[in-house]
Amino acid sequence: MNARPSADSGMGICCAVSTIIHLTVFSLLFWYGSHIQPMTVAETYYVDVVNLPVAAPRAGSPTQQGNDSEAPQPKPTENQMNLPQPPDKTPKNVSAPNAASPRKEDTSFADKLSKIQGKAESRAQEATLERLRNKLASTGSGRAGMPSATGNEAGSDYTAYIQSRLKDAFRETISYSSRNPEIVVRIFIDTEGKVTRRKIERSGSDRAFEISVIRAIDLASEKFTPPPNHKTFEGVFVFKPQGISQNRP
Amino acid sequence: MALLTSAGIVVKLVLMLLLFFSVVSWAIILFKLFQVHRANSASVRFMDFFWKSKRFDAIASQIDRFTSSPLTVLFNEGYGELKKVVDSDGKSEGSALSTDLGGIENVSRALRRATNSEITRLEKYLTFLATTGSTSPFIGLFGTVWGIMTAFEGIGKTGSASLAVVAPGIAEALIATAIGLVAAIPAVMAYNHFQHKIRVLVKEMDSFSTEFLNIVQRNISGK
Repeated sequence: MNARPSADSGMGICCAVSTIIHLTVFSLLFWYGSHIQPMTVAETYYVDVVNLPVAAPRAGSPTQQGNDSEAPQPKPTENQMNLPQPPDKTPKNVSAPNAASPRKEDTSFADKLSKIQGKAESRAQEATLERLRNKLASTGSGRAGMPSATGNEAGSDYTAYIQSRLKDAFRETISYSSRNPEIVVRIFIDTEGKVTRRKIERSGSDRAFEISVIRAIDLASEKFTPPPNHKTFEGVFVFKPQGISQNRP
Repeated sequence: MALLTSAGIVVKLVLMLLLFFSVVSWAIILFKLFQVHRANSASVRFMDFFWKSKRFDAIASQIDRFTSSPLTVLFNEGYGELKKVVDSDGKSEGSALSTDLGGIENVSRALRRATNSEITRLEKYLTFLATTGSTSPFIGLFGTVWGIMTAFEGIGKTGSASLAVVAPGIAEALIATAIGLVAAIPAVMAYNHFQHKIRVLVKEMDSFSTEFLNIVQRNISGK
């Protein structure tokens, strides 16, 4: 009575059709992928902020290489300014054989002019050198970074150097127990750069702060360079939790 | 294509599993489309024929024309049970049908059994669609997570975290999620569609069962 065909008779055919559909779609995707341009990742370009290229006026624009290699100089233009010519005094009716004499006059005039220009340039250079000499003579020994070469007066470079070293060391050793501790220390440095003596001229009741200051001086003194001109150094420094300052007279 | 070839073994296994799910899902979708379409069209034609016919034996002789319809199964079962009841009544001396209506109950049970078997037949393979729809995204996600883990391992070994190093690994990993979604979305849509269609067919079968029983009862009462 029940003449129904098998319920799963079409399932095999549908599986085959589905496989064909998937293969077709996959082939289409493969074909599409092979015809479009592959994705290229742009090369990362890092900008060196420190050595940014600067304008090279002679090249006319910023160079790619920056300061290290400057762009080549442009070729000199052919249309250079002509030297002024003396007035032509030769009569117009002079014949051709006399044409050599104006050329001689031209070259002699150019020589004179170049000599005058050379003299002016040398005078300007001498003046500039003289100004520099006067300036160096008025400011100290003439060595860069070491004015006056004494090294022990307030504001000198060596004092600033000692203050900087003390500041670095004090950052590692600082400790205090009172509210606003302050210590004034006079430091003596010999010609070899060693701390020969440290004298606490004014101190509070904060023992921990005092110890930290002494430790900072000891720590910093390991790296002191000798004072300039083989002289001893004597400086007074004020130690506070906020930092170190020079006790200027 | 390069993304597939350069993927790791775990990601490749995940992709193959998802491809299998997709192939089988689409096979079921195609099969169910034909099955439900044939069942609907055959049911419409069978109902026309059923209401035009005056006798059950005439319908039974022509039933082979509508084999795709689930209603024909119901008719066959009901008619077969009815014949058995009538045959047993003819052999016995008293009329069981007219006294306690036990024969009607037999036909009703036969129709209910046939309805259940047809529902089971129509809903066959739908569980696979539901499983594909619910698990494929997670399987794809697993492949993605695994691929990203592998990519980060590679980044750690190379020591570079630039886009050129990170992007290919993540792209390889994300293709697993993409294929998981490609397999899951049609499966979920087809599952919901077929559930609706089967629900309509079940209602039609219930209506037909009721009508069949009414006809049988009217005939028995008229005797």
